[in-house]
Amino acid sequence: MSTGKEKIIPILAITVLLIGSFSTFYVHANKTVAEKDTITINNQKFTIQELFESVEVKTIGLDEGDISGLALDKLIIFSNVNCPSCHKYTIIAEDSYQKTVGWEDMKKGIITEFKRTYFEERAHAFWIYNVVEIEVI
Amino acid sequence: MKDKKRLVAGILIFGSLWGFSEVIIGSTLSDFGLPSGALMTGFFAMFFLLISRLTFRQSGMQLGMGLIAGTLRMFNPLMGCHICSAIAIMAEAMVFEIIWRYLSFDFEKHKNLTIQVSLGIFIVYSLYVSGYIITQILTPVVDGTGFYLGNLIAILPKILSNGLLPAFIGGAITPAIVILSKINLTIKDRIYYPTTLFTSAFCWIAVVGSWLMVG
Repeated sequence: MSTGKEKIIPILAITVLLIGSFSTFYVHANKTVAEKDTITINNQKFTIQELFESVEVKTIGLDEGDISGLALDKLIIFSNVNCPSCHKYTIIAEDSYQKTVGWEDMKKGIITEFKRTYFEERAHAFWIYNVVEIEVI
Repeated sequence: MKDKKRLVAGILIFGSLWGFSEVIIGSTLSDFGLPSGALMTGFFAMFFLLISRLTFRQSGMQLGMGLIAGTLRMFNPLMGCHICSAIAIMAEAMVFEIIWRYLSFDFEKHKNLTIQVSLGIFIVYSLYVSGYIITQILTPVVDGTGFYLGNLIAILPKILSNGLLPAFIGGAITPAIVILSKINLTIKDRIYYPTTLFTSAFCWIAVVGSWLMVG
């Protein structure tokens, strides 16, 4: 004899598989194709090379050792954001992963030539790979 | 009293082994560029949670295991996001408890393979997705930057999509775990307790010791 649970469990499994499948389709359909060496900051597009020629490089200490890159606070000032400390900053990766940080964190953060952000004293969840945009909010 | 003692020892050993595997195997998979979160949830989390539940049949045990495994994961001497993984492990254990409360199944009576596979798919998908979402919410809160709903909404389709791989793994391994749980392995107390304590101590000393040496 078939019980209620025996009927509902396959339905639940099919439901999550459908959710996963539709989400996979959505993710691929909406994938951002970023230009390889560019990054958008405050709605302006820059090449990584151009930024490395213009913005201060600094080294920060992480639990995985020291790492160098462009100082994020200087990058924001370079992109002509008015009153940088008045804003929050959302760092967005190619795969839509994003994290929002404040100005104090930007002062402790860097972005490397491989478009990876790192922050001193922040969880690795804030280490974002393949950054395509820094949005000022 | 004796049962309670055995249960506590069970929580300790299963939690320690789960945490140990997360630290050693999870970090190694990650180093090789493999989807460690999906593989760890699909294989290891599901294995330890389900086998312990089917063997001990005690609610609350898996939450205790998650707390132990998550705490051990915090001392990862290898690299990675310590706080994120610890939160995800604890969340997975909590979600397993909730799901099992409503969907618990007596596999002695029900040997239907479709049910076992379906249950594996549903449980592991739920564990992975909820663990990922909860860690996305709590990590910034614990870290002090604050949680932004927009950050979560933007990544939600990816989380729901990434849950497919662990779901398939869960579906594949659940029947094997059910078979394994039926093996009647009686271990005498004089062997059970020392083995449990020694194995748990080994897991903790290896992980925390390495963490202290690296740190």
